[in-house]
Order: sequence, then C-alpha cells, then structure tokens
Amino acid sequence: MSGVYEGRAWVFGDHVSTDQILPGAYLDRPMEEVGTYAMAGLDPTFRSRVQPGDIVVAGVNFGCGSSREAAVMALKQAGVAAVVARSFGRIFFRNAINNGFPAAIVADTRAIRAGDRLRLDIPSRALVHLRTGETTPLLNLTGTSLEILEAGGIVPFTLRRLGAAR
Amino acid sequence: MTAMTLTEKIIARAAGRDAVRPGDEVWAAVDLAAMHDSSGPRRIAGILEQFGGRLWDPQKIVLAIDHFAPAANQRHAEIVKLTRDWARARALPQFFDSVGVMHNLLLEEGLAHPGTLVVGADSHTVTAGAAGALAVGVGATELATVLVTGQIWLRVPPTVRIHFEGPLPDYLTARDMAMEVLRRLRADFAIYKAVEFTGPAVEGLELDERAVLANQAIEMGAKNGIVPPSGAVLERLGPAARAQGRPLAGDESAAYDDEHRIAMASVVPLVAVPPNVDNVVPVTALAGLELDRVYIGSCVGGKAADLRAAARVLRGRQARVPLQITPATRRVVEEALRDGTLETLLASGAIVQAPGCGACAGLHSGLLGPRERCLGTVTRNFPGRMGDPSAELYLASPLTAAASAVTGRITDPREFL
Ligand code: SF4
Repeated sequence: MSGVYEGRAWVFGDHVSTDQILPGAYLDRPMEEVGTYAMAGLDPTFRSRVQPGDIVVAGVNFGCGSSREAAVMALKQAGVAAVVARSFGRIFFRNAINNGFPAAIVADTRAIRAGDRLRLDIPSRALVHLRTGETTPLLNLTGTSLEILEAGGIVPFTLRRLGAAR
Repeated sequence: MTAMTLTEKIIARAAGRDAVRPGDEVWAAVDLAAMHDSSGPRRIAGILEQFGGRLWDPQKIVLAIDHFAPAANQRHAEIVKLTRDWARARALPQFFDSVGVMHNLLLEEGLAHPGTLVVGADSHTVTAGAAGALAVGVGATELATVLVTGQIWLRVPPTVRIHFEGPLPDYLTARDMAMEVLRRLRADFAIYKAVEFTGPAVEGLELDERAVLANQAIEMGAKNGIVPPSGAVLERLGPAARAQGRPLAGDESAAYDDEHRIAMASVVPLVAVPPNVDNVVPVTALAGLELDRVYIGSCVGGKAADLRAAARVLRGRQARVPLQITPATRRVVEEALRDGTLETLLASGAIVQAPGCGACAGLHSGLLGPRERCLGTVTRNFPGRMGDPSAELYLASPLTAAASAVTGRITDPREFL
C-alpha cells in the first residue's frame, strides 16, 4: 500500500497561510511539540478532532507565506496523512516533500465535503473521491519531487545521493 | 543560442549548462546560503550531525540572529544563545548577532551578488533579488542539505515580467507598486514562477526600494523576484560583484510566460485590507478609519528609505496614536541618525526600537491584542501574523503609515505632501 492513503477529508478554503497552520506564537517550541498546535490559527478544535490518516483538502495557495517547516510538521504530527489542494505555496510544498509528507495537486477540490472519504493513490496518480466515485488525476509529484517523497524526505534522499556519488 | 530571461540565465550558469528552459529540473551550485535564529541551528544542528557535521563552505554561509532578539522570554533567550554558541563553535565568518534582519544584511553588506544563486531558510529570501541575484526561500531541512552539499534542485520557473511605465510620483513608494501588482493579479498569479520587474519607474529606484519589489514577490506566490541591476544600483554593487561573467540581464528576445504593463500615473496610494495581502484598495476608500496604532518596520518596511519617507510626512507634525518604529538593521539607525531622519521621527513622538524583525512575525516587541487595529509597513497581514487572530492589520507604504499616524486614522499621504 505504499503511496496510497485513504482517509477522511478536512476541508479548508483558499490561501490558508502557514501563520494559520502554525501561528508565530508557537514558533519558539521544539519541533517535536508543534503537532499540539496544528491549525491553531484557523480551527482551534481541529487538533482534538483530527484522526490519524485524515486528509486535509484545500483550495488554491495552501501553505502560503512563511517558510516555517513547523507548519508541515504540525500537520504530520497531528496524524494528517496527506494534503490535497488546487495549488500550494511553493515553500510549503517543498517542505512537505522534504519531510516525506504527500502534498498533491488536483484541478479542483470544490466537490469534496468535510468528512468525505478519499483515496490518494500516488502510484496510480489519482485522487479517488469515494463518496462520488469520481477519480481525478494528480497534476504534480513527478521527477525529483517524487523521488524525494519516495525516499522519505530530503535527508534520506541526500544521504543516498552522497552515498552513490562516493 | 537559446534566448533566456535573467532568471533562466542564472540557473543555467549555476547548473553548468549552456541553456535551460522553463520546466527543466536541474541541480544547481549555490553561491550563498543564509539562515536565521528561527530556521537555523536549532532546527538543523541534528540534521547536520547525520551528515557528519561538516559544512560545505563556511565562507558561503550567512547566519543572522533577527527573529528572537531581543528575547521576550526564556524560550527566546535559549534559542538566541544556542544560535550564538553554534556560530562561535564554528567561527562562522558571516555571523550577525542581533544587528538586523538577515535579508537586509545580505544587501547592506554586499553579500548577495548579481547573477548568483542565493538560497535562504526564510520565505523573504527573495528580497536579495533586488541585487539581481536569483534568491529563493526553502525550509530548514532543505537548507541543511544545502549546507552539506552546496547544491539544490530547482525546476526552472517560467518568468512573468511586470513593466512599470513612467516616473514614480512623490506620493508613492515601491510598496504601492507591489500592492498594485497584487491588486491587479492577486496573490497566486506567480506560483512556481519568477517575477522580473522592469521599466522606467524601477530603473529610478534605489536598492532599498528595489528590495520591496523583490521581497513582495513571495506574496505573489513567486519562486523568486528579480530586478535586473542597472544605473546607480549597479555601480553600488561594485566591480567585484560584477566579476566572472555573471549574467546581469536577460536576452532581448527571451520568451516571457506573461507580461503586464502598469502606468505609474494610474496608481494611487494603496492599502491591503486584512486578512490577505491582495485585498488591496485605494487609501481613499478607507480614509477616516480609526486606528489604535501604527507600526513601521520589517525587512520590507523598516529600511533607511522607509524611515526617510516617513520623516518626509512627519517633519513638524505629531503622531496622534502610538507610532512604533523597528529599523531593519543597526545601519538603518546610523543612517537615520546621520541624515536627521531619526531626530524628525523622535520629535514626532515615534518610539524607535531595537533593530531586527520586531513584531512582524508575532514573536515579541509589540504584538497586537484582540480586535486591535493597526496600520503597518510589515510584510503580511494574515490572521494572527502579528498577534491575536482577531486583530486587524492593514498594510501600506511608509508615507501612508506616517500620514495615518498623524491623524490617528487611515489617511491619504497626499494630504501632507
Ligand atoms: S521582518 Fe518579518 S517578514 Fe522579514 S524576515 Fe523578519 S519576520 Fe520575516
């Protein structure tokens, strides 16, 4: 099942910034603790209600703004399995991939409702909306970014790359 | 030979290729890697250990303590101390300890050179595009791998050109130019793209003002913002910076993804209304809205040019609401002291704080309380950015900020110029 994620959707809108995903007030915390504050700037109840394996769904420009990697780590630590959006803030996307956290782009997410079950199938390059049965192709996760994601992040990827060069 | 934009030329050079095209993926050699106390040693020390702790080239690494200084509490103080100890243990040659914001230091100290590839662990690393560098932001973990290998993978972005026609009127600053772009094209028009700023209004800008355009490219979603160096700025960047055949301009016939022309005569002083940077309206649409306070600071709005602009409005006038100023760097304070700007600001009742990020990232030095309404020259107005999520943070030029401080309400600077 590697690269396949099935879970319940949490739906957010456009332009969700990393200031909302992990507010500056928690930037001074150790990285291991940031999961406690996931989405604190947007939905303070998120953290207590999110289930391991859930999938965050958003509109355009998800993760815009600050480069804080803690935004990705907060979602990951809270148990979120993947993020699906119409587009990402570029640095958030790289941070996600660099930490082995899938961030998939599809053309439209507007038919997805909170609580819908989704299957993100990276090997098949598809997002399956299990409520409607609709399948949407993934528009990213190719080339180097896919290699880094499959390696589990930029650190294992770079260790391997350096090993190969040696 | 393939015609290339400036961004494409810089990537081709860094990748050791004759030419690249948008969409190509390359491994590129980094010329300068920068980080700060928030994204730096506290986040990367453990990762570097996994690689044996060796740095690729300490001469090409910049570290600045800017986010958590002056420390507001023990947690901040520990981060500052950890950062300083890490830099000292490695005798890092380019270490800036609580003297200003990393992005401004890269330009001020002449560390970001035209035609080079700069990578920094902060989204506003794009600011160094003001010097004609290709400057991109990354997260801390990726920066750690750059510190080990000196390399980064890049997908060559398509370039969008924004051409500003006509001279810049004296009631506008580069911040209004950037906000006009956001107003017309919105905050996601440049996702995964490069934005190149050209035209007569740009050529006339000093480095500080070019930095505003490059800085705000990230709010347009861009991978990088770049201003081809020209005129006095090119002179200032110096002969050393122009060495080694580094590209300074794109080819005349280069293909742009898109081009937009903006006539400066059609632009008015603007304000970005919370909660988004592209929620931009003319200042006249909000004129009279009462403010609790005014904040001038950050890497985009706390430079010497910003303080001088504010002083133009504040000369001989008094601020009616608290006016807090956080200079971007220590040198900004020195310059403001030398040319009389500081005296004017202080005489108006402004409070001048320690240089650095100040309240911009919501960490210390004047956070906003619930429903507090502030107009600031900072980078972003996202909910909770500078304090409580219910606070209202309006963004504007330093001229508009100063005019608004004088009346205590959002005010068109043309009333005072
Ligand atoms: S001044 Fe603000 S935007 Fe600039 S680097 Fe500091 S926190 Fe970030």
